[in-house]
Amino acid sequence: MIDFNTHPVQIAELTEDDPALAAAIRDVFGFYVTPQPLATFLHQLDAAGIDQAVVLPLDCTSAHGATIGSNEQIAGLAARSDRLIGFASVDPNSPGAGKLLERSVREMGLRGLSLDPGLQRFDLAGPAAAEVFAACTELDIPVSVQCGLNWAPPALAVSPLALEAVLSGHPGLRLVIQHFAWPWVAEALMLAVKYPNVTLDTAILFAGTPQASVRQVLAEQVGVHVLDGALANQVVFGSDYPRVDPKRVMWGIDALDLKPATRDKILSGNARRLLERSES
Amino acid sequence: MKFELRRLGVQTRKDTELIDVTPRVQDVVAETSVTEGIVYVTTLHTTSGITVNEGLPDVEDDVMAMLQRLAPEADGYRHARFLHSDGQMAVNSTSHQRAALLGMQVAFPIAGGQMVMGSRQTIYFAELDGPLYREFVVHVIGQ
Repeated sequence: MIDFNTHPVQIAELTEDDPALAAAIRDVFGFYVTPQPLATFLHQLDAAGIDQAVVLPLDCTSAHGATIGSNEQIAGLAARSDRLIGFASVDPNSPGAGKLLERSVREMGLRGLSLDPGLQRFDLAGPAAAEVFAACTELDIPVSVQCGLNWAPPALAVSPLALEAVLSGHPGLRLVIQHFAWPWVAEALMLAVKYPNVTLDTAILFAGTPQASVRQVLAEQVGVHVLDGALANQVVFGSDYPRVDPKRVMWGIDALDLKPATRDKILSGNARRLLERSES
Repeated sequence: MKFELRRLGVQTRKDTELIDVTPRVQDVVAETSVTEGIVYVTTLHTTSGITVNEGLPDVEDDVMAMLQRLAPEADGYRHARFLHSDGQMAVNSTSHQRAALLGMQVAFPIAGGQMVMGSRQTIYFAELDGPLYREFVVHVIGQ
Protein backbone atom coordinates (compact mmCIF):
# COMPACT_ATOMS: atom_id res chain seq x y z
CA MET A 1 0.00 0.00 0.00
CA ILE A 2 1.20 3.49 -0.84
CA ASP A 3 0.29 6.85 0.68
CA PHE A 4 0.61 9.32 -2.19
CA ASN A 5 0.31 12.48 -0.09
CA THR A 6 2.64 13.12 2.84
CA HIS A 7 4.64 16.21 3.76
CA PRO A 8 8.13 16.39 5.32
CA VAL A 9 7.10 18.81 8.04
CA GLN A 10 7.24 16.79 11.26
CA ILE A 11 10.50 14.89 10.88
CA ALA A 12 12.96 15.86 13.59
CA GLU A 13 15.97 14.64 11.61
CA LEU A 14 15.23 17.32 9.00
CA THR A 15 14.46 20.25 11.26
CA GLU A 16 16.87 19.80 14.15
CA ASP A 17 19.85 21.05 12.14
CA ASP A 18 17.95 23.38 9.86
CA PRO A 19 16.28 26.28 11.66
CA ALA A 20 15.31 27.83 8.31
CA LEU A 21 13.27 24.76 7.47
CA ALA A 22 11.68 24.77 10.91
CA ALA A 23 10.72 28.42 10.39
CA ALA A 24 9.30 27.75 6.92
CA ILE A 25 7.24 24.84 8.22
CA ARG A 26 5.81 27.14 10.86
CA ASP A 27 5.43 30.39 8.94
CA VAL A 28 4.76 29.21 5.38
CA PHE A 29 3.26 25.75 5.67
CA GLY A 30 1.45 26.59 8.90
CA PHE A 31 2.30 23.49 10.91
CA TYR A 32 3.04 24.03 14.58
CA VAL A 33 3.29 20.59 16.20
CA THR A 34 6.49 19.30 17.80
CA PRO A 35 8.68 17.29 15.39
CA GLN A 36 8.83 13.53 15.79
CA PRO A 37 11.63 11.11 14.91
CA LEU A 38 11.60 9.61 11.43
CA ALA A 39 10.95 6.27 13.13
CA THR A 40 7.63 7.59 14.36
CA PHE A 41 6.56 8.42 10.80
CA LEU A 42 7.40 4.87 9.74
CA HIS A 43 5.49 3.43 12.69
CA GLN A 44 2.51 5.61 11.73
CA LEU A 45 2.62 4.09 8.27
CA ASP A 46 2.72 0.65 9.88
CA ALA A 47 -0.30 1.47 12.02
CA ALA A 48 -2.20 2.36 8.86
CA GLY A 49 -1.02 -0.73 7.00
CA ILE A 50 0.96 1.41 4.54
CA ASP A 51 4.16 0.12 3.02
CA GLN A 52 5.49 3.26 1.33
CA ALA A 53 4.82 6.98 1.32
CA VAL A 54 5.34 9.63 -1.32
CA VAL A 55 7.00 12.62 0.36
CA LEU A 56 6.03 15.96 -1.17
CA PRO A 57 8.34 18.95 -0.62
CA LEU A 58 7.61 22.45 -1.89
CA ASP A 59 9.95 24.99 -3.40
CA CYS A 60 8.45 28.34 -2.46
CA THR A 61 11.58 30.37 -3.14
CA SER A 62 10.11 33.22 -5.15
CA ALA A 63 6.86 33.48 -3.17
CA HIS A 64 8.19 33.05 0.36
CA GLY A 65 11.97 32.75 0.20
CA ALA A 66 11.92 29.21 1.54
CA THR A 67 11.55 25.55 0.73
CA ILE A 68 9.40 23.13 2.66
CA GLY A 69 12.09 20.51 2.31
CA SER A 70 14.76 20.93 -0.33
CA ASN A 71 15.24 18.33 -3.04
CA GLU A 72 18.55 17.41 -1.44
CA GLN A 73 16.85 16.86 1.92
CA ILE A 74 14.13 14.72 0.37
CA ALA A 75 16.69 12.65 -1.54
CA GLY A 76 18.56 12.16 1.71
CA LEU A 77 15.39 11.13 3.47
CA ALA A 78 14.56 8.60 0.77
CA ALA A 79 18.08 7.23 1.08
CA ARG A 80 17.47 6.54 4.76
CA SER A 81 14.42 4.38 4.15
CA ASP A 82 13.26 2.58 1.05
CA ARG A 83 9.74 3.09 2.35
CA LEU A 84 9.92 6.77 1.45
CA ILE A 85 9.44 7.79 -2.18
CA GLY A 86 10.88 11.24 -2.64
CA PHE A 87 9.36 13.72 -5.05
CA ALA A 88 11.11 16.89 -6.17
CA SER A 89 9.72 20.36 -6.12
CA VAL A 90 10.76 23.29 -8.26
CA ASP A 91 9.62 26.86 -8.31
CA PRO A 92 8.09 27.51 -11.74
CA ASN A 93 8.71 31.23 -11.23
CA SER A 94 12.46 30.63 -10.95
CA PRO A 95 14.52 30.52 -14.17
CA GLY A 96 15.74 27.06 -15.10
CA ALA A 97 13.07 25.21 -13.13
CA GLY A 98 12.80 22.54 -15.83
CA LYS A 99 16.55 21.90 -15.78
CA LEU A 100 16.55 21.75 -11.99
CA LEU A 101 13.76 19.18 -12.12
CA GLU A 102 15.72 17.12 -14.61
CA ARG A 103 18.79 17.11 -12.34
CA SER A 104 16.66 16.24 -9.31
CA VAL A 105 15.21 13.23 -11.10
CA ARG A 106 18.25 12.00 -13.01
CA GLU A 107 20.94 12.72 -10.40
CA MET A 108 19.09 12.54 -7.08
CA GLY A 109 16.66 9.78 -7.96
CA LEU A 110 13.54 11.73 -7.09
CA ARG A 111 10.50 10.14 -8.68
CA GLY A 112 7.93 12.83 -9.32
CA LEU A 113 7.13 16.51 -8.96
CA SER A 114 5.23 18.26 -6.18
CA LEU A 115 3.52 21.56 -6.94
CA ASP A 116 1.23 23.82 -4.94
CA PRO A 117 0.19 26.75 -7.13
CA GLY A 118 -1.77 28.37 -4.30
CA LEU A 119 1.26 28.48 -2.01
CA GLN A 120 3.99 28.83 -4.63
CA ARG A 121 1.92 31.55 -6.31
CA PHE A 122 2.29 30.60 -9.94
CA ASP A 123 -0.16 30.43 -12.81
CA LEU A 124 -0.94 26.83 -13.71
CA ALA A 125 -1.69 27.81 -17.30
CA GLY A 126 1.25 30.23 -17.65
CA PRO A 127 4.40 29.74 -19.72
CA ALA A 128 6.65 29.19 -16.70
CA ALA A 129 4.53 26.28 -15.53
CA ALA A 130 4.35 24.96 -19.10
CA GLU A 131 8.14 24.51 -19.10
CA VAL A 132 7.90 22.46 -15.93
CA PHE A 133 5.02 20.32 -17.17
CA ALA A 134 6.93 19.71 -20.41
CA ALA A 135 9.89 18.51 -18.34
CA CYS A 136 7.61 16.12 -16.43
CA THR A 137 6.39 14.66 -19.71
CA GLU A 138 9.92 14.37 -21.03
CA LEU A 139 11.12 12.72 -17.82
CA ASP A 140 8.03 10.51 -17.69
CA ILE A 141 7.31 11.32 -14.06
CA PRO A 142 4.01 12.04 -12.30
CA VAL A 143 3.21 15.49 -10.98
CA SER A 144 1.10 15.94 -7.86
CA VAL A 145 -0.70 19.27 -7.72
CA GLN A 146 -2.36 20.74 -4.65
CA CYS A 147 -5.87 21.96 -5.48
CA GLY A 148 -8.85 23.15 -3.49
CA LEU A 149 -8.80 24.00 0.20
CA ASN A 150 -5.27 24.86 1.25
CA TRP A 151 -4.50 25.02 4.97
CA ALA A 152 -1.19 26.87 4.56
CA PRO A 153 -1.93 30.39 5.87
CA PRO A 154 -0.42 32.37 2.93
CA ALA A 155 -1.91 30.07 0.27
CA LEU A 156 -4.84 30.87 -1.95
CA ALA A 157 -7.26 28.15 -2.99
CA VAL A 158 -6.83 27.03 -6.59
CA SER A 159 -9.57 25.49 -8.71
CA PRO A 160 -8.64 22.44 -10.76
CA LEU A 161 -10.37 23.90 -13.82
CA ALA A 162 -7.14 25.67 -14.74
CA LEU A 163 -5.61 22.24 -15.21
CA GLU A 164 -7.69 21.49 -18.29
CA ALA A 165 -5.52 23.83 -20.36
CA VAL A 166 -2.46 22.05 -18.94
CA LEU A 167 -3.85 18.64 -19.85
CA SER A 168 -4.76 19.87 -23.29
CA GLY A 169 -1.26 21.21 -23.85
CA HIS A 170 0.55 18.22 -22.36
CA PRO A 171 -1.40 15.10 -23.33
CA GLY A 172 1.26 12.76 -21.96
CA LEU A 173 1.34 14.33 -18.50
CA ARG A 174 0.52 12.05 -15.58
CA LEU A 175 -1.29 14.39 -13.23
CA VAL A 176 -2.42 13.78 -9.66
CA ILE A 177 -4.94 16.25 -8.27
CA GLN A 178 -4.65 16.35 -4.50
CA HIS A 179 -7.59 16.31 -2.09
CA PHE A 180 -10.12 15.52 -4.83
CA ALA A 181 -9.75 19.33 -5.12
CA TRP A 182 -12.39 19.78 -2.42
CA PRO A 183 -14.62 21.80 -2.63
CA TRP A 184 -14.27 21.59 -6.42
CA VAL A 185 -15.00 17.88 -6.38
CA ALA A 186 -17.29 17.97 -9.41
CA GLU A 187 -14.67 19.85 -11.41
CA ALA A 188 -11.95 17.35 -10.45
CA LEU A 189 -14.27 14.49 -11.29
CA MET A 190 -15.01 16.07 -14.65
CA LEU A 191 -11.30 16.20 -15.47
CA ALA A 192 -10.75 12.61 -14.35
CA VAL A 193 -13.59 11.17 -16.41
CA LYS A 194 -12.45 13.11 -19.49
CA TYR A 195 -8.69 12.58 -19.13
CA PRO A 196 -7.48 9.08 -18.26
CA ASN A 197 -4.08 10.52 -17.32
CA VAL A 198 -5.66 12.34 -14.33
CA THR A 199 -5.58 10.71 -10.92
CA LEU A 200 -7.28 11.99 -7.75
CA ASP A 201 -5.99 11.44 -4.23
CA THR A 202 -8.11 10.73 -1.17
CA ALA A 203 -6.61 13.32 1.18
CA ILE A 204 -10.00 14.90 1.73
CA LEU A 205 -10.02 16.97 4.88
CA PHE A 206 -12.25 19.84 5.74
CA ALA A 207 -14.27 19.09 8.87
CA GLY A 208 -15.33 16.17 10.97
CA THR A 209 -13.30 13.02 11.05
CA PRO A 210 -11.40 11.81 7.98
CA GLN A 211 -13.82 8.91 7.91
CA ALA A 212 -16.75 11.35 7.65
CA SER A 213 -15.02 13.54 5.04
CA VAL A 214 -14.04 10.58 2.91
CA ARG A 215 -17.55 9.14 3.12
CA GLN A 216 -19.19 12.46 2.28
CA VAL A 217 -17.06 13.07 -0.80
CA LEU A 218 -16.37 9.60 -2.12
CA ALA A 219 -19.63 7.84 -1.26
CA GLU A 220 -22.15 10.66 -1.35
CA GLN A 221 -20.76 13.19 -3.85
CA VAL A 222 -18.83 10.98 -6.25
CA GLY A 223 -20.54 7.66 -5.63
CA VAL A 224 -19.00 4.29 -4.87
CA HIS A 225 -20.29 2.98 -8.21
CA VAL A 226 -18.18 5.65 -9.97
CA LEU A 227 -15.10 4.64 -7.96
CA ASP A 228 -15.72 0.99 -8.79
CA GLY A 229 -16.35 1.83 -12.43
CA ALA A 230 -15.10 4.89 -14.28
CA LEU A 231 -12.51 5.94 -11.70
CA ALA A 232 -11.22 2.54 -10.64
CA ASN A 233 -7.83 3.19 -12.22
CA GLN A 234 -7.66 6.90 -11.34
CA VAL A 235 -7.77 7.23 -7.55
CA VAL A 236 -4.83 6.83 -5.16
CA PHE A 237 -4.76 6.76 -1.40
CA GLY A 238 -3.43 9.98 0.14
CA SER A 239 -3.53 11.06 3.77
CA ASP A 240 -2.01 14.55 3.86
CA TYR A 241 0.19 13.43 6.78
CA PRO A 242 0.84 15.03 9.21
CA ARG A 243 -2.18 17.26 8.84
CA VAL A 244 -4.08 14.08 9.62
CA ASP A 245 -3.19 10.55 10.73
CA PRO A 246 -2.85 8.09 7.85
CA LYS A 247 -4.57 5.44 9.96
CA ARG A 248 -7.78 7.44 10.18
CA VAL A 249 -7.92 8.08 6.43
CA MET A 250 -7.35 4.36 5.93
CA TRP A 251 -10.24 3.60 8.27
CA GLY A 252 -12.35 5.92 6.12
CA ILE A 253 -11.44 4.05 2.95
CA ASP A 254 -12.08 0.74 4.66
CA ALA A 255 -15.54 1.94 5.68
CA LEU A 256 -16.52 2.48 2.04
CA ASP A 257 -18.18 -0.50 0.47
CA LEU A 258 -15.67 -0.74 -2.36
CA LYS A 259 -15.14 -3.82 -4.46
CA PRO A 260 -11.96 -5.57 -3.26
CA ALA A 261 -10.33 -5.02 -6.65
CA THR A 262 -11.05 -1.28 -6.48
CA ARG A 263 -9.69 -1.07 -2.96
CA ASP A 264 -6.49 -2.77 -4.08
CA LYS A 265 -6.11 -0.34 -6.96
CA ILE A 266 -6.70 2.73 -4.78
CA LEU A 267 -4.34 1.56 -2.07
CA SER A 268 -1.61 0.16 -4.24
CA GLY A 269 -1.95 -0.65 -7.92
CA ASN A 270 -2.76 2.81 -9.23
CA ALA A 271 0.11 4.38 -7.32
CA ARG A 272 2.59 1.77 -8.50
CA ARG A 273 1.57 2.34 -12.10
CA LEU A 274 1.94 6.10 -11.68
CA LEU A 275 5.45 5.68 -10.35
CA GLU A 276 6.61 3.49 -13.19
CA ARG A 277 8.78 5.14 -15.79
CA SER A 278 9.07 3.89 -19.33
CA GLU A 279 12.69 5.00 -19.64
CA SER A 280 15.54 3.31 -17.85
CA MET B 1 14.17 16.66 51.38
CA LYS B 2 15.22 15.67 47.87
CA PHE B 3 13.31 16.38 44.69
CA GLU B 4 14.39 14.66 41.50
CA LEU B 5 12.59 14.83 38.18
CA ARG B 6 13.49 12.58 35.23
CA ARG B 7 11.98 12.94 31.80
CA LEU B 8 11.75 9.61 29.99
CA GLY B 9 10.87 8.93 26.37
CA VAL B 10 8.97 6.07 24.81
CA GLN B 11 8.48 5.34 21.13
CA THR B 12 5.09 3.73 20.78
CA ARG B 13 4.32 1.48 17.82
CA LYS B 14 0.57 1.04 17.69
CA ASP B 15 -2.62 3.08 17.68
CA THR B 16 -3.35 1.88 21.20
CA GLU B 17 -1.11 -0.16 23.46
CA LEU B 18 -0.07 -0.66 27.05
CA ILE B 19 3.67 -0.46 27.65
CA ASP B 20 5.20 -1.76 30.86
CA VAL B 21 7.41 1.00 32.28
CA THR B 22 7.79 -0.48 35.78
CA PRO B 23 11.51 -1.29 35.52
CA ARG B 24 12.31 2.16 34.19
CA VAL B 25 10.50 3.81 37.11
CA GLN B 26 12.20 1.50 39.61
CA ASP B 27 15.59 2.31 38.07
CA VAL B 28 15.02 6.04 38.51
CA VAL B 29 14.03 5.55 42.13
CA ALA B 30 17.13 3.46 42.76
CA GLU B 31 19.37 6.06 41.16
CA THR B 32 18.08 8.89 43.35
CA SER B 33 19.20 7.40 46.67
CA VAL B 34 15.88 8.44 48.21
CA THR B 35 15.03 5.85 50.84
CA GLU B 36 11.80 7.26 52.28
CA GLY B 37 9.37 9.21 50.16
CA ILE B 38 7.03 9.03 47.21
CA VAL B 39 7.34 8.68 43.46
CA TYR B 40 4.92 10.13 40.95
CA VAL B 41 4.72 8.86 37.37
CA THR B 42 3.02 11.35 35.08
CA THR B 43 2.40 11.43 31.35
CA LEU B 44 2.97 14.72 29.54
CA HIS B 45 0.26 14.16 26.95
CA THR B 46 -3.52 14.35 26.76
CA THR B 47 -4.01 11.30 24.55
CA SER B 48 -2.03 8.90 26.66
CA GLY B 49 -2.36 7.66 30.20
CA ILE B 50 -0.49 6.18 33.13
CA THR B 51 -2.23 3.32 34.85
CA VAL B 52 -1.55 0.33 37.06
CA ASN B 53 -2.90 -3.14 36.57
CA GLU B 54 -1.91 -6.77 36.56
CA GLY B 55 0.79 -7.45 34.01
CA LEU B 56 -0.96 -10.11 31.99
CA PRO B 57 -1.63 -9.97 28.25
CA ASP B 58 -5.28 -10.96 28.68
CA VAL B 59 -5.83 -8.23 31.27
CA GLU B 60 -4.17 -5.73 28.94
CA ASP B 61 -6.44 -6.82 26.09
CA ASP B 62 -9.53 -6.53 28.25
CA VAL B 63 -8.57 -3.06 29.49
CA MET B 64 -8.10 -1.87 25.91
CA ALA B 65 -11.37 -3.49 24.89
CA MET B 66 -13.11 -1.68 27.74
CA LEU B 67 -11.73 1.65 26.53
CA GLN B 68 -12.88 0.93 22.99
CA ARG B 69 -16.32 -0.01 24.29
CA LEU B 70 -16.71 3.05 26.50
CA ALA B 71 -15.14 5.53 24.02
CA PRO B 72 -15.66 4.09 20.55
CA GLU B 73 -14.13 5.47 17.39
CA ALA B 74 -17.21 7.18 16.01
CA ASP B 75 -18.52 10.24 14.28
CA GLY B 76 -20.49 12.90 16.08
CA TYR B 77 -17.89 14.16 18.53
CA ARG B 78 -17.40 17.92 18.73
CA HIS B 79 -13.63 17.58 18.68
CA ALA B 80 -13.50 16.84 14.95
CA ARG B 81 -12.20 19.85 13.11
CA PHE B 82 -9.11 21.64 11.90
CA LEU B 83 -7.13 22.91 14.87
CA HIS B 84 -5.59 26.18 13.73
CA SER B 85 -3.14 26.32 16.62
CA ASP B 86 -1.63 23.00 15.50
CA GLY B 87 -2.08 23.23 11.74
CA GLN B 88 -3.60 19.77 11.66
CA MET B 89 -6.91 18.03 11.98
CA ALA B 90 -8.04 17.41 15.55
CA VAL B 91 -9.97 14.23 15.04
CA ASN B 92 -8.93 12.19 18.05
CA SER B 93 -11.73 12.83 20.51
CA THR B 94 -11.84 9.11 21.16
CA SER B 95 -8.24 9.21 22.33
CA HIS B 96 -8.90 12.10 24.69
CA GLN B 97 -11.88 10.31 26.20
CA ARG B 98 -9.87 7.14 26.75
CA ALA B 99 -7.14 9.20 28.41
CA ALA B 100 -9.72 10.71 30.73
CA LEU B 101 -10.85 7.25 31.72
CA LEU B 102 -7.35 6.00 32.54
CA GLY B 103 -5.88 9.06 34.19
CA MET B 104 -2.55 10.75 33.73
CA GLN B 105 -0.61 9.87 36.90
CA VAL B 106 0.06 7.25 39.51
CA ALA B 107 2.02 7.42 42.79
CA PHE B 108 3.80 4.84 44.93
CA PRO B 109 5.40 5.09 48.35
CA ILE B 110 9.13 4.60 48.71
CA ALA B 111 10.36 2.77 51.82
CA GLY B 112 13.72 1.30 52.54
CA GLY B 113 14.99 2.63 49.23
CA GLN B 114 12.43 0.69 47.19
CA MET B 115 9.04 1.33 45.70
CA VAL B 116 6.25 -0.24 47.71
CA MET B 117 4.30 -2.20 45.09
CA GLY B 118 1.94 -5.13 45.14
CA SER B 119 3.38 -8.24 43.55
CA ARG B 120 0.84 -8.11 40.71
CA GLN B 121 1.11 -4.41 40.03
CA THR B 122 2.56 -3.20 36.74
CA ILE B 123 2.91 0.44 35.78
CA TYR B 124 1.79 1.06 32.23
CA PHE B 125 2.29 3.91 29.84
CA ALA B 126 -0.93 3.77 27.83
CA GLU B 127 -0.70 4.90 24.22
CA LEU B 128 -4.13 5.98 23.05
CA ASP B 129 -3.35 7.76 19.76
CA GLY B 130 -0.14 6.31 18.45
CA PRO B 131 2.31 5.64 17.16
CA LEU B 132 4.15 8.64 18.57
CA TYR B 133 7.31 9.49 20.43
CA ARG B 134 6.01 10.19 23.95
CA GLU B 135 7.40 11.44 27.20
CA PHE B 136 6.53 10.87 30.82
CA VAL B 137 8.15 12.10 34.00
CA VAL B 138 9.20 10.28 37.11
CA HIS B 139 9.23 12.63 40.09
CA VAL B 140 10.88 11.32 43.25
CA ILE B 141 10.32 13.24 46.48
CA GLY B 142 11.81 12.19 49.81
CA GLN B 143 14.89 11.84 51.88
